[in-house]
Amino acid sequence: MIIVNYIASVFLIVLGLYTVCTKKNLIKIVLGLGITDYGINLLIVSIGFNPGGTAPVYYLADLLNGVAPNFFVDPVPQALTLTSIVIGACVDAMALALVIMINRKYKSVDADEIRRLNG
Amino acid sequence: MKFKDGIKEKNIIIKCGSDVFLPFSLIFALYVILTAPVGGGFQGGVLGAAAVLLIYLGYGYDVTRNSINPEILRINEACATTIYALLGFAGLVFGANFCRNVFYANGWLTGFVHDGTIGLMDYAVGYNVMTGVGFLLILMLGFLAPVEEAKKAKKKEDEK
Amino acid sequence: MIQHFPVMAVMLLFLGAFLVAIFGRISPVIRDGIAILIATISLVLIYALIKPVMIDGQIISYWMGNWEPVEGYAIGIGYEVDALGLFFALLVVTTFWLSGIYSLGYLKKDANKMHYYTLYLMLSASVLGLVLTGDLFNMFIMIEIMTFASVALTAFRNKQAIALEAAFKYLVLGSIGSSMTLAGVALMYRVCHTLNMAQISSIIGGEFNLTTIMAFGLIVAGLGVKSYIVPFHTPAADAYTAAPTSISMIFSGMVNKAGVYGIIRMVYVVFRAMDRSSIQILLVVFGAVTMFIGVTMALAQHDFKRLLAFHSISQIGYVITAIGLGTALGLNAGLFHAMNHTLFKGLLFLTAGAVLTATGTTNLDKLGGLSKRMPVTTVCFLVGAFSISGLPPFNGFASKWMVYQAIYTKAVESGNILFAIATITALIVSVMTLASFIKVTQAVFFGQENPENANAKEVPVIMQIPMVIMAVLCVLTGLFYNVVEKFLLAPAAGAALGVSNYIDKMMGAGYAKAAGITDIEAAPAAFSFWNPLVWLLLFVVVFLGVYIVMATSKSTRGRMLEGGEGYDPKYATFFSGEQEEFSQVGGSDLFWGFKTDWKGYYKVLQGLHSGIVTDYASYIVMGAAIIILVMFICLR
Repeated sequence: MIIVNYIASVFLIVLGLYTVCTKKNLIKIVLGLGITDYGINLLIVSIGFNPGGTAPVYYLADLLNGVAPNFFVDPVPQALTLTSIVIGACVDAMALALVIMINRKYKSVDADEIRRLNG
Repeated sequence: MKFKDGIKEKNIIIKCGSDVFLPFSLIFALYVILTAPVGGGFQGGVLGAAAVLLIYLGYGYDVTRNSINPEILRINEACATTIYALLGFAGLVFGANFCRNVFYANGWLTGFVHDGTIGLMDYAVGYNVMTGVGFLLILMLGFLAPVEEAKKAKKKEDEK
Repeated sequence: MIQHFPVMAVMLLFLGAFLVAIFGRISPVIRDGIAILIATISLVLIYALIKPVMIDGQIISYWMGNWEPVEGYAIGIGYEVDALGLFFALLVVTTFWLSGIYSLGYLKKDANKMHYYTLYLMLSASVLGLVLTGDLFNMFIMIEIMTFASVALTAFRNKQAIALEAAFKYLVLGSIGSSMTLAGVALMYRVCHTLNMAQISSIIGGEFNLTTIMAFGLIVAGLGVKSYIVPFHTPAADAYTAAPTSISMIFSGMVNKAGVYGIIRMVYVVFRAMDRSSIQILLVVFGAVTMFIGVTMALAQHDFKRLLAFHSISQIGYVITAIGLGTALGLNAGLFHAMNHTLFKGLLFLTAGAVLTATGTTNLDKLGGLSKRMPVTTVCFLVGAFSISGLPPFNGFASKWMVYQAIYTKAVESGNILFAIATITALIVSVMTLASFIKVTQAVFFGQENPENANAKEVPVIMQIPMVIMAVLCVLTGLFYNVVEKFLLAPAAGAALGVSNYIDKMMGAGYAKAAGITDIEAAPAAFSFWNPLVWLLLFVVVFLGVYIVMATSKSTRGRMLEGGEGYDPKYATFFSGEQEEFSQVGGSDLFWGFKTDWKGYYKVLQGLHSGIVTDYASYIVMGAAIIILVMFICLR
């Protein structure tokens, strides 16, 4: 059932945002960002999914002759998801690197103590 | 890498596993990249980059750092991206738009460029992803390394 | 040939970034040479488009790989350059070129300059691509590259703890914004099955259903995070402070303009919602709140760059207010102010960088009396300060006048009290901006000299050149506002309102008509007559009058304050302060009386800017929730 995917994706997005807004540990904040990203990826994949469709890999000639089934899942959202996954991985890598460097300077990963820029 | 008490180095099984699987994984990565015209560049590149992790799991950070030079990986990644962009500009040279597929179906090099620049661009993607993700993994492992060293130093102090 | 220029400009910048990464280690000359050469080529390519696009009124459409629409469906990635996109592209290329020249001198003592130039070129390319693209997902990609490059450049001086802190906050908050944009783009794909903005515009046709309202809200909130309107402004203040100054200039000149461009493109062209008064009021309220909170926070700052950052937020409020009016005059005013903001705020950041180079600090309390040692910087700073405060004949006056006129006209036409309040807010904010810059001028360039800065020298010529160019541009655009209006603003505003041209050029002639798309009806922009020179004359007369009165009356001069019985100078109305002649009042405390009067307000506001990243994240989520909620209530 595709509706389950949508509910799950919204749940993941909201869970991720909740994590970012409430948890004080920087690592957990980064995890929250990751969860939001996965929720959005699930949303995009669900958008392109056709129940019962096949993979969209054919030769053009097959498609025109009617040899290949002309009912397949939408390939564009899959490409978007792939891009989004890569970007999500980069966000996580960069954020974790920054957390490690912050930990060296501040000797803490608590968001309440990392607030020299305020006011 | 955390060791249990009394164990000083990696288990021989892990080392052997790493040794045995490394060539296969690289060959498989290359195979996937060479199916590029249908879009295997990215996936193959990630598989190839996983070799870094295999070495790390088998031998630890120091060996990984000694066997793969991140600086060379970085320059190779930049080269791959440059190749991609130049192949994109090849379309402009032939009077079409950016990223246009040119050179296809002309029988050069017995089909290596049969698919035109689009195939070469996907090889470039594979090259780029392999070096880029490998570089990223080494950097991330490097961030963990000083922690290990600090732990070792602490252990030595404790022993004293 | 001309249609290849936009994509060449973008792709050459990306190519240059990687060429710097390959050859940068060989020698500093090659590294700097590649970066500046590529930036210059890109500048020339974009400037070459002024004649065909701005003057002849062409729209350039470009399909990557010649993947043109099939049966009315866009299947490829398209670049589309209309006058609106080109207007912002001009701002972008000017900013990054000047910043590149400046950084040659500014980064003398920094290590890892190769990384700097790589990221600098990537940032430039991504912002340029963002304003030139015609594809929604490509826009998201460019936003992401922009965020990454900005974060990495914020953390460039990673020996400083605050740089890392600001970078982390920027990354977390910026990623939330990008995620919202991505979710909105995905929902738009669900509705329209295309990602081309022209085709989406013709499919939606200004009508909304539940999914498109959600997508609209998410995209506008996501772009709001990138343009730093008020509930989303917190990362900007930190990042502008911690980044190298040449990058702060890029942030305030290009990166938040990219967000503004995205908002204009979305509300005017893609969703075509600006004929609805609810969206107008939403944008105007957000803009008015942004300008007020930005300027009041700026008054309380002790750091030069952080103060400028809050002013930057405040000026973006003007732009958002003006474009939110939905009239041709408002759009003209908003675009003009966006352009002037790029010029004068870039100039001010450059002078801040010069002060940092000369003295090693940007703390207002530790500076003072630099005007004798740094004359060029002082003159440039004064030009920038006059411009941002809106004194004639500088450009800030012209654009602020247009903004006031646009809001006032709208308030009279619609009779809505909110627009009247926005007019008054804009005027008050302008006065506060002037006050704030008097404080900075006093604290940094005039006033008492700090002995620690006795060996401060004027910055090298390579850093003076961009400052002087920007100062000259500030004066020129103020004096020849009508030329700017005719050749830049009017085409750009016309492009934002004339949607059917945009769609037809991209999807084939007659496409918009077949989909039943008509342009937004807007009265042509009408200006009442005004001339900056007359105003300059008026100010000179008033200044002379005040000066003569001050000079002739003895009661206001220096020592006379001591006299009189029962006279406590500490609480005097205008000349309050300590009794001792040389008592040191910190440069940033010039308006301490004002701050005391508004103690309660500042307590709340500074409590809100707590510096804790989770608080900031919740503001962003709350702001997005408000935008989406208002849209659901008003657009249903």
